Amino acid sequence: MLRTTILLAGLLALTGGFAPASAASKAKPPATAPAHHVHVIVIDQMQYGPMPTDVRAGDIIEWTNKDILEHSATARDGHFDVDLKPGTSGRITATAGTLVFFCKFHPTMTGTLVVK
Amino acid sequence: MNKPLLALALAFGIASVANVQAKTPAVASPAPAINDAQIAHIAYTAGVIDVTAAKQALQKSHNKAVRAFAEEMQRDHTAVNDQALALVKKLGVTPQDNPTSQSLASGAADEQKKLAALSGSAYDKAYVANEIAYHKTVNGALSGTLIPSAQNAELKSLLETGLKLFQSHQAHAEHLALSLK
Repeated sequence: MLRTTILLAGLLALTGGFAPASAASKAKPPATAPAHHVHVIVIDQMQYGPMPTDVRAGDIIEWTNKDILEHSATARDGHFDVDLKPGTSGRITATAGTLVFFCKFHPTMTGTLVVK
Repeated sequence: MNKPLLALALAFGIASVANVQAKTPAVASPAPAINDAQIAHIAYTAGVIDVTAAKQALQKSHNKAVRAFAEEMQRDHTAVNDQALALVKKLGVTPQDNPTSQSLASGAADEQKKLAALSGSAYDKAYVANEIAYHKTVNGALSGTLIPSAQNAELKSLLETGLKLFQSHQAHAEHLALSLK
């Protein structure tokens, strides 16, 4: 009887001990969730660098300004307007469609990106 | 070609000839090639001139596109000149005044007087036309004389960045001129 009680108490303690860990594991995102990639567009010498391919909705698009001048990534349709001081970066979360953008300070700088 | 641009073209033409002579060993006493201190002075002066022209445009023009262009010129040329000042300070170089810089400055003052006498769309068209001509000449001087003559790698690199920038300005001005017709 005593042995059974000890075993039961031990079992309960173990169960109790594991319970928080089990709850914590439930808080993690499921392993099957799609990863959101970060696509970087480098600005240098008054130009947007190569446009990333295979961009999906929910991915991050990041512009990095390596120029000595301030630039921007401004959507033609007004959906985003990212100011980029020299040496800084800015991000948006991509939405499906064709993103047409330009630099509001240098209108000859333009870029087009397809998001699936 | 107007007077200041002619002066600039002549000055750079002479500088180019001087460079060719300096590279020819057979010449006994070659004319001195343009040095980095003079190049820095010319590049800085060219920037100041365009900032001054932009400030005048912002006082005189009521055209939204012309004002946006002038703001771009003021912002970009100020930024490049700030970089140039930081570079010469770092290199311990004192920009050296020279006949080309002097011609540029006096020619620009004359041009500013001419533009001051105009108003409305006549001013807008004249300002933009001058910006096209000015950038064409400066870009030609950068690629033909200043960049090849620059000895310091960092100065050369800054001039190359400046050339890309000013080519973009020229394209913007040309596009703007079409919309003013």
